[in-house]
Amino acid sequence: MKASKKEKKYQKVSKRDITALGYRSLLNQAIFNYERMQNIGFTATLAPCLKKIYKNDKKKLAEVTEDNLEFINTHNVLVPFLEGLMVSLYEGGEDPETVKKIKISMFGPLAGIGDAIFWFTVMPIMSGICASLASEGNVLGPILYFLVFLAVFILRFPLAHMGYSTGVSALDKIQANTEKVGNSASILGVTILGGLIASYVSITLLPQIEISDGTFISLQTDLFDKIIPNLLPFAFTFLIYFLLKKKVNPTILILSTLVVSVLLAFFGIL
Amino acid sequence: MEVTLLMGIIITLIAMVVALDSSLEGFFIFRPIIVCPLIGLAVGDLETGLLAAGIVELAFAGITAVGGVVPPDAVMTSIMTVVLAKTTGEPVAAAFALAVPFGLLAQFIGNIKSTVLSFFNKTADRYAKEANLGGIMRLCIFGMTLTVVIYGVLTFLSVYVAQDALVDLVNMMPEWLTHGFSVAGGLLPAIGFAMLLRVILKAKYVPYLLAGFLFATFIPIDNILPVAIMGVAFALLEYYRVNNTNKGGESNEGI
Repeated sequence: MKASKKEKKYQKVSKRDITALGYRSLLNQAIFNYERMQNIGFTATLAPCLKKIYKNDKKKLAEVTEDNLEFINTHNVLVPFLEGLMVSLYEGGEDPETVKKIKISMFGPLAGIGDAIFWFTVMPIMSGICASLASEGNVLGPILYFLVFLAVFILRFPLAHMGYSTGVSALDKIQANTEKVGNSASILGVTILGGLIASYVSITLLPQIEISDGTFISLQTDLFDKIIPNLLPFAFTFLIYFLLKKKVNPTILILSTLVVSVLLAFFGIL
Repeated sequence: MEVTLLMGIIITLIAMVVALDSSLEGFFIFRPIIVCPLIGLAVGDLETGLLAAGIVELAFAGITAVGGVVPPDAVMTSIMTVVLAKTTGEPVAAAFALAVPFGLLAQFIGNIKSTVLSFFNKTADRYAKEANLGGIMRLCIFGMTLTVVIYGVLTFLSVYVAQDALVDLVNMMPEWLTHGFSVAGGLLPAIGFAMLLRVILKAKYVPYLLAGFLFATFIPIDNILPVAIMGVAFALLEYYRVNNTNKGGESNEGI
């Protein structure tokens, strides 16, 4: 059973076509739009493979193209995996309607896995380390960041092949492994974030209070720093955290921060 | 410092390349950590570029286009932070806060673009009916060209054409106002951190947050690497703890 399935591979598309999905997937957000998001770029990535698979059946090619122009929003690094899988199914003669259903059931979870790995684990860790190197004037900061994300880009090629040859079972494997290391990665991320809050959020209270004739105490150095330094940055970060939980729009928070900072500066508080 | 025409053109070209990468999320060269040093090189001051990279990257660490919320534009904020720091002579933190409105403007224009591009789905559907896959590809090229052109124009206007007006504006500002922008520069990273926390923080991770916070508060460190190494230690502890529990009691007993 397995052997016969393997023989079916590379009948109409070549190994090269699958590799090409890796770099063609850069098109995914080429014409990103709010109505159907990545649909056109996603279809353009698949185009050469679709042309080869349906070269004798223009009607089916039109039908499959239309299918792929429907709404899709998934993760840009993991999208070659989905495309590799779809090509293997189309090539194997699977009913396009079935492939469409598989696509619809997969793009959301893929986006979730991708966001968890790249946006919420790799990026904060790399941002924290590289930005603090850059702050010291070290060029290694941007260079290290670039190299890591170059490696992330290169991942697209094995992902396309994995999707084509292993299919849905590979997704389960990725998901299981993500869960296994996900907990540890979150711990690393959270620890770094704790350090970043202490190092990069700065609030200094300016007022001084006269306690007796000629003796002033500074609110910042004599009061808050005595309790614990960086207490205010910590408190402010959590204020924002709770406002975000209350679904306040981040753009509003940025604008309010600007306005409040200026007001507090005007009154000589910060 | 004044932005010369040549600098303006170089910055615009850099902006066009990284803006394309930003829309495609390909190589992540659109992140502030890369853009700021590049702009620094273009204006002949890598050091300011690196300093800006540290501040802006962290502020944008959590401000990402995840979950349908479109964030202020990182590329434009990065470019204007370095440029304004050089042209106005303000500290980088203040230049960053001054640059944020440009990031919001670029975000607004980006939103309009993605709305308008929705109309091209009809064209795409027509190409599909004709099985015209070349047409689909041309739409992609059109989308990318539009991104690059819009960004190029916006950058050149902000960086070169408007520079005198911007410098005058900043010079006109009273001291408390520019100081207020510096204060904002110190607060804005908290928004990025809070957005990340919102996604990854769970009650069971709070001890690690506190440990990282206390470490960086009381131990003098030059960069975050020592905290990261402590984080790796915590992560490994958790990893082995979970794996041991899964294996059952036996492996816990003997050495």
